[in-house]
Amino acid sequence: MLTQVLLQLTVVVTLMVLVSIAVFVGRYRLRDTRLEWRARVRAAAPVTALLAAVLLFNSVARQYGPDVSWMIHWNLTWPIYDVEGEFILWLQSFEAPAITAYFSFIYIYGYVFLLVFPVIAYFALSNTRPLRELLTAYTLNYVLGLGIYVFIVAYGPRNMMPELVDALLYDTYPQYQHLTRQVNRNTNVFPSLHTSLAATVTFLAFRTRAIYPKWFFLATGLGVSVAISTMYLGIHWAIDVAAGIVLAYICVVLAGVLVGRWSVTAWIATLRDSSTSRSTGSGTGTDTKPDADPNPGSSSGSSGSSGSEPNADAGTRDTTPSESEPETGSDPEPERA
Amino acid sequence: MSDPAPSASPEHHTHASDDAARSGLSRRSMLAATAGLTVSTSGCIREVRSIVNRDEVEPLSLTISTVPADGDRESIQLARAVGSALESVGVDIAIDMLSHEEFRRAILVNHDFDLYVGPHPGDTTPDFLYELLHSRFAEEAGWQNPFGLTNLALDDRLDAQRVAAGGTGNGDGDDTNENTDREDAITATLESVAREQPFIPICRPTEIRLARSDRFEGWGDGHPATRFGYLGLEPQSEDAAAELRTVNTDARPSQNLNPLSAEYRERNIVVGLLYDPLAVTQWPANGGGAGAEVGVGDGDEESDADTDTPAEPDATPDLTPWLAADWEWTDDETLSVTLRDDCAFHDGTSLTAEDVAFTYEFLADTTRGSRRFSAPAPHYRGHVAAIDDVTEVNETELEFTVATSQPVAERALAVPILPKHIWDERTDQASLRGVTVAEGTTEALVTDNVPPIGSGPYQFEDRTDREHVTLARFDEHFTRRDGVDLPKPTSERLRIQIDPRSTSAIELVESDSADVTLSTLESYVVDDVFEDDEEIPETTVLESPSWSFYHVGFNARKAPFSNPRFRRVVAQLLDKEHLVEEVFHGYAEPIATPVVEEWVPDSLAWNGTDPETPFLGTDGDLDVAAARDAFEEAGLRYDDDGNLRVRH
Repeated sequence: MLTQVLLQLTVVVTLMVLVSIAVFVGRYRLRDTRLEWRARVRAAAPVTALLAAVLLFNSVARQYGPDVSWMIHWNLTWPIYDVEGEFILWLQSFEAPAITAYFSFIYIYGYVFLLVFPVIAYFALSNTRPLRELLTAYTLNYVLGLGIYVFIVAYGPRNMMPELVDALLYDTYPQYQHLTRQVNRNTNVFPSLHTSLAATVTFLAFRTRAIYPKWFFLATGLGVSVAISTMYLGIHWAIDVAAGIVLAYICVVLAGVLVGRWSVTAWIATLRDSSTSRSTGSGTGTDTKPDADPNPGSSSGSSGSSGSEPNADAGTRDTTPSESEPETGSDPEPERA
Repeated sequence: MSDPAPSASPEHHTHASDDAARSGLSRRSMLAATAGLTVSTSGCIREVRSIVNRDEVEPLSLTISTVPADGDRESIQLARAVGSALESVGVDIAIDMLSHEEFRRAILVNHDFDLYVGPHPGDTTPDFLYELLHSRFAEEAGWQNPFGLTNLALDDRLDAQRVAAGGTGNGDGDDTNENTDREDAITATLESVAREQPFIPICRPTEIRLARSDRFEGWGDGHPATRFGYLGLEPQSEDAAAELRTVNTDARPSQNLNPLSAEYRERNIVVGLLYDPLAVTQWPANGGGAGAEVGVGDGDEESDADTDTPAEPDATPDLTPWLAADWEWTDDETLSVTLRDDCAFHDGTSLTAEDVAFTYEFLADTTRGSRRFSAPAPHYRGHVAAIDDVTEVNETELEFTVATSQPVAERALAVPILPKHIWDERTDQASLRGVTVAEGTTEALVTDNVPPIGSGPYQFEDRTDREHVTLARFDEHFTRRDGVDLPKPTSERLRIQIDPRSTSAIELVESDSADVTLSTLESYVVDDVFEDDEEIPETTVLESPSWSFYHVGFNARKAPFSNPRFRRVVAQLLDKEHLVEEVFHGYAEPIATPVVEEWVPDSLAWNGTDPETPFLGTDGDLDVAAARDAFEEAGLRYDDDGNLRVRH
């Protein structure tokens, strides 16, 4: 049952990604990607490793988190319900089979697509900064979100008002229960990580709107749809969604501040410099090449940095090998520990 | 008499009584400070003191504890119905949703609640009321008087019921001479309980399960809430003979297999398969209940598996010897039990009279006397309390000395027999570095008991948390011997797949990925199940009566829940018939008393309304004015804003 659902998910999302690559990314970027992929992979490797570690930790944390949560026992379900009243019921009053089908599709397929596609789209850019910001923001979402989950116990609307809020997804498409229960526990609803990750993608799509203008519109549409779907399907409260958007904003701002602050390659380079001869220096130069941001200012100004991205893309082909330590160069006090 | 309330009413709400005391103090000290001025001018310090030192009567604010809809969709709906009824009569409420484990820990172990809503496992005879309501159990954990009710009059009735002579139930309370004593005593208890309302019995659900008739035959010969729903099935294919695939919506069996756990054990099906008691009740799946349309599809309801218990619809089935070969009453107080020969536990250790004697002693105190503070097991407490003493006569013979009537004492034979060599090691206080462990928390009560070693028809094989627990057939089990005519384990393995929702569990059965739903289906899907069942010939719906019941429990340790008049008016706020329709979609019967049909006295039979605490309103609409009058008549008071105010 689970494998069937997973297979279906993989096939559908792959198709969506392929179509989107054709529509949004285009041939030229793909061609460059074929030439430069090694360097880009190297640039994004540290943060990818970090994200992978967090995801790995995530699966462990979800296993044991609830036990810890119940020991801390801050149960927010009633306060949330008391404050927001019956907004979810109002939203569900628009229920129609077509709408349910749409939002169920968005909740599962649209969401996974929304998270996967920008990784590919940003990988197709010579400037790896958007990619690194994206992966950093994902990592932050998980770290902060899981942190909050450990402290707070809250059940979603479908658990509070089962007769009023139809658990539309699980009753209309029971097979998805097998999928979602692999990745979540029913006490983890505040904040909505579905919303925060979707909103993260949307915010970053706004930053890169000059490069991917059409993607920005699609990401906004999907992001809003995901947020509504979590409420319409009775999984999250409106307050969870609001908290998710706030979390996304914090993560995007933090990602803007943090990305480019430390360079693992530069750090390795210094290690090598100190131990071996300078001949390796040229090698590190090409290593860190993707860090050759034309937007050195963006590491300090987070949301304002979007303006500098078009230059980044325009300068896609610039292969300036000169800047060996761009990160440290743009940073007043590089931290190397 | 209206409340004088000289000072302005404070606007804060408190959820706990000690909060109230604290705020009262601070208010008092503030007043005392301001009063200092007045005193210096007037000098009437006594009057001031009399005014200042009176505590405010706070608006009533209470919390209703229950579990979320995942796994028990009905409880939260009932809790919200109770909550909105209370709100409409001027009580401030909050609903505390707790996970299944936390809920049971709060209610049954810590006794930390105001009101709760949930199911009680119930029993086939009314004898469970003894441990449920007797004041001597008010301090213990488990379904031992979680309400903290202490009422000497009721204690007397329960004690009388325990010794009243007479056989098993005989129907509708007609005068049949030989049973009158016991029956009269039970009726007296039930009437007292209804009058006291320590809890509000709401309804008894009909248990609905879905099974595949193409894989097995014999569904419904035994009640599927007991081991007999899964023993004696006839596999129709080699696949079926290899594995019986069940699906359970509750994940707890995959997490903990301790038969004594207050938090994890409820219906005990898994314990019933892993452990053997001395005797069992073979309750037919579709016989005993009243008014339940027989729903088993394939027309083989009463097959030959029920050899020992003719399934007369109105009689409680007799006990069948199980691990005991036989027993006999040597005199009124001595029950002599003979075990079957050569029984063994799953680890190969032989099961002897020593294990049996140990079990009874251990359940009464899991410290085995090693500490002054005893730690009785939260389950089977009423059973073992009937036994005064157990003596081993030899390897296979025991003598039980009892101080109760015979039917009550025989009920004690239904506890699972534990291996002494394993549980004897678990008498120590559980310890955790840096944490003060609550007194009476023995290792036996908190262990997850994996792997469980019992002597039952199935043995533990494997489990994955929240995914499955798999059992393997215990080939040496006595039911598989020649000449033993009891339902036996047939499939080589029994897998309990965890699937958190009824809808997906149904899908597993309909798509031939599972053979039966171990847990009952939630009532909102039942209509669909019946519809689907007509289209899919390979499935069959099992409809069986239940002895569990939904109820609202009061914590009688706290005011105002300690006031029976308050409890009675709360009971009258609920339209049970309406709740059965709305919440259970009709798959339940409203009840006024918590025992199975054949023990319900005429005075407490449902007659379209609750005979003891009739609903104050009609068709689910509460007559708020009448309800408020009823509270005032009971001596409670309202303030000018319409809030119910009580000292608590």
